[in-house]
Amino acid sequence: MRGVAAEISSIQAVSVAARQRLGAGHWGLIALAIVAVAVGAAAEAWQVQNGMQGTGLNRPVAWGVLITDFVFWVGIAHSGTLISAVLFLFRAKFRTAVYRVSEAMTVFGVMTAGLFPIIHLGRPWFFYWLFPYPNQRQLWVNFRSPLMWDVFAVSTYFIISATFFWVGMVPDAAALRDSATGGWRRFYALFSVGWRGTAEEWRHYTRSYLFFAALATPLVISVHSVVSWDFAVSILPGWHSTIFPPYFVAGAIFSGVAMVVMLLIPIRKVLHLEGVIKLSNLDLLSRLVLLMSLVVSYSYITEFLLAFYGKPSAERDTLVYRATGDYALLFWLMVLCNCVLPLLLFSKRVRVSPIILMPIMVCVNVGMWLERFVIVVTSLSHDRDPFSWHLYKPHLVEGLITLGSFGWFFLWFLLFLKVLPAISIAELKEEVAHVHSDEEPAHD
Amino acid sequence: MIETGVLGLFAEPSQAAAAIRSLRAAGLDDVRVAMPAPFPEVMDAVGKPRSGVGVGVFMGCVLGLIGGLGLCAATSLAWPLVVGGKPILAWPTFLVIGFECAVLIGGSVTHLMLAYTTATGRARNRMPVADLRFATDRIGVFVLTQAPGAAQLLTDQGAEEVRRVG
Repeated sequence: MRGVAAEISSIQAVSVAARQRLGAGHWGLIALAIVAVAVGAAAEAWQVQNGMQGTGLNRPVAWGVLITDFVFWVGIAHSGTLISAVLFLFRAKFRTAVYRVSEAMTVFGVMTAGLFPIIHLGRPWFFYWLFPYPNQRQLWVNFRSPLMWDVFAVSTYFIISATFFWVGMVPDAAALRDSATGGWRRFYALFSVGWRGTAEEWRHYTRSYLFFAALATPLVISVHSVVSWDFAVSILPGWHSTIFPPYFVAGAIFSGVAMVVMLLIPIRKVLHLEGVIKLSNLDLLSRLVLLMSLVVSYSYITEFLLAFYGKPSAERDTLVYRATGDYALLFWLMVLCNCVLPLLLFSKRVRVSPIILMPIMVCVNVGMWLERFVIVVTSLSHDRDPFSWHLYKPHLVEGLITLGSFGWFFLWFLLFLKVLPAISIAELKEEVAHVHSDEEPAHD
Repeated sequence: MIETGVLGLFAEPSQAAAAIRSLRAAGLDDVRVAMPAPFPEVMDAVGKPRSGVGVGVFMGCVLGLIGGLGLCAATSLAWPLVVGGKPILAWPTFLVIGFECAVLIGGSVTHLMLAYTTATGRARNRMPVADLRFATDRIGVFVLTQAPGAAQLLTDQGAEEVRRVG
């Protein structure tokens, strides 16, 4: 039986060794991400120069791929705080090994999502008009609009998530600072803000962390509810629905946790973290994905059920169009990815098999992107007035900007893996000590 | 000012906790601890009251809520344009902004309080020895005393290493 100190010491060694394992392949991926960002930036520059007519957007479909991307990335960002804060409050132990990766994913996900409303403005240099600032003409933003709620919700979410991420990192950065040399030592010293690990510091830290978690938890619910209100507060058939907030929150957790699993599978393999991020962690996260898949499936059914319950209506017509019209293929692909394939997760063998899990999680994310596209586009292209029906086809520029967003997200994520610990060293040490103190009576 | 005392290094949180309790039972109350994680048994043995950051967080949230609602109301009154048939002061819609501001200001105050309390706490209860092992795998227990029995007490409780400081 190894002593507590030896096990605690090994956690830090594993973390340091993991980062050192990232070699040429990792830099190659970073280069690939930079290329994707450059392509996306070039596409955005082209769009700025040529105007929004360069996209497939036109009346009445004024929201398309760019808004789909926004909702998708906000959704991805969602689960990080769920795993980190909500599971912390519930004292779910399985979060310890995986929450750092999911928190990083949240911060980079919001950073990506936040770009899209600005890109979608068409004149991104006027983005500051979204904020209420004193001006000579006393013109103020419209706080009664859900679009303005979005500005506040997403900004708050980013600031709180980033702060939560940093605060969680401070003790780990201090541990790495003390064992690093040269420039790395200065880097970690900057991150750890003079942390010494005294009981006095821990006393305030643990309490503050609890408050951060308590503040972040309602924020998780509010952000995607607010995003859903962008649609639900309008009177458009297919959007104007009271089930949108819980439906969107469930969808966000669904796609976000699937993305966490997608990221964890290669990370545990490449960084040799199989001993820390265990198959049981993937199993539990997959169960969460399965649960959310069932909730999302239930929401799809409810949406149709409500439309068909009363008299024939524009709502019913829109939903029939969704399932049988021009975008039917995307709709059924969405159903396959979000409702059918995740049912495989009922099997424990599937849940603990990274090779099978990976394609399922990729499909879930494809399905969730399609869900947002179907919601955004079908309602606009087929509203109450047949005269204004219009088929929206995304243009190449929108596809390239989407590609750039993936590059942007993965660039930050890959850099994070290179410079910061992918696992929470301090919390794992605490957990090891807990396990030992639980075992102690058996040794007496 | 150079503080003098005895430092003991422990590998097990339970031993460190027992040592702290023994020191305090012997009347040596100025015990300072550094460790790589907040081991609950050690924190209990140190016996400090719960951190008061919660008061600041609550105040921050209330301030944020009032500020958010006030911002919405004041700007709507400054530019009273009727939109979507809603009243100028449409409080249900303002609640969203009020909530977001409450979380934003509450979270920011939490951060500031954390920075302030840890910095001042660190200065007040300074650990006079810097040892890499405190951040890695050992618990350092320092007691501010000249009493000859302190070192023996730490050794008796399982300290791996005991030395005089200062």
